[in-house]
Amino acid sequence: MNPTTTYGETELVALLQARNGQAFSYLYDNYSGALLGVIGGIISDRDLAGDVLQNVFVNIWRKIELYDPSKGRLFTWMLNIARNAAIDEVRSRSYRDAQKNQTIADDDSLPGAVTGPAIGDVGLKKVLNKLKEEWRVLIDLSYFQGFTHEEIAKLQGLPLGTVKTRIRTALSHLRTMIS
Amino acid sequence: MNIQEYISSGIVESYVLGLASEEERKEFEQYCNQYPELLKARTAFELSLEQQAMAHAITPDAGLKSKLMEAIGQTATVVPMHHTPVRKMNGWKYAAAACIALLAGSIYYNIILTGRNSQLRNNYDQTVAELNTVKKDIDMLKGNPDIKMASMKGTDMAPAAFTTVYWDTTSHDVYLLVNNLPQPADSLQYQLWALAEGKPVDLGFINEEYFVKQDRLLLKAKNAQSAQAFAITLEKKGRQDVSKPEGQIYVLGNLQ
Repeated sequence: MNPTTTYGETELVALLQARNGQAFSYLYDNYSGALLGVIGGIISDRDLAGDVLQNVFVNIWRKIELYDPSKGRLFTWMLNIARNAAIDEVRSRSYRDAQKNQTIADDDSLPGAVTGPAIGDVGLKKVLNKLKEEWRVLIDLSYFQGFTHEEIAKLQGLPLGTVKTRIRTALSHLRTMIS
Repeated sequence: MNIQEYISSGIVESYVLGLASEEERKEFEQYCNQYPELLKARTAFELSLEQQAMAHAITPDAGLKSKLMEAIGQTATVVPMHHTPVRKMNGWKYAAAACIALLAGSIYYNIILTGRNSQLRNNYDQTVAELNTVKKDIDMLKGNPDIKMASMKGTDMAPAAFTTVYWDTTSHDVYLLVNNLPQPADSLQYQLWALAEGKPVDLGFINEEYFVKQDRLLLKAKNAQSAQAFAITLEKKGRQDVSKPEGQIYVLGNLQ
């Protein structure tokens, strides 16, 4: 299912920026599955993932002007919106749960770090599982849970420089595994 | 800088996946402009990421799309977009909509212009007619050696009043020029007289419309067979015998 056979990316973006409903419909038909896959890698609850997907597309519709083709492909832009939305959802949920279970909470670790999202065996996650454990954890925390390098360093009790280097190394391996 | 080392450092993946810091991002974007191979590596990773995601797509619930289209104010369309005619039709739809809008605008503008045009036409015709009347009056006075004139000065009744009579001694036509005469009350009207051997002869009334329109230079009066002077009196409307003056004299002047 290669979208470029019907719409060139430049053309599609121009139509979307002109608020063309049919172009948006096309965008949804072609990319909703892939983006739900990405969201599903972070949120295992299917209904909740669907809600996030809807919000993601609403945001794409509203913020299409912000998309800058010089900085990457349209899909990359959407992928990052989807990933960030999913992480935000998990975090706010973990935060609410943490508030509810305040009485039994016994540590002050960052929200989401203890319970964490269920790791689905899909997409990037599947590739990720093939990585070395020390890399896998870092990519999971960084990419799928959205922690900053500083936060990861704190969580893992590692020097910041080590975290950065390992994530970079892990990512460069990830590429060879994907392609 | 060794660009190959930079490319294989993991920065490409870090940037594309949104994991790079602000500083790293800026640097990366700058290098992308400088090094085509970096841009190539970025695009290659993006494409493989896209293919990866496509391969692991999860089909959303069928109802989600209509909910979404409703949320953004677009009704869901069932027509798949894969058929190229849809795109072509889009272009035509826009073209047709633009044409209709233009046509409607043009018609509207035409109506406005036609209305404005006929109004201008009327104004023009009216102005030309008035101008011709005045021209005729002037020509009649200018080129006629038989014309005699009487300047009629205001009496004590109206010291500022002033009229002029032009009398053609051959045709006996009488023309009145109202230089200044106060507008009379509704129940009253001015009457012009020729004074022949001391006796007043009725030359007619000044139509009250004249005071409203003021569209004539000269007013045509009744012919006067003989005259030494002219006068205007202010008379009551509807009196029985109009051959003799009853009201006051407003202006009076001898033939020169």
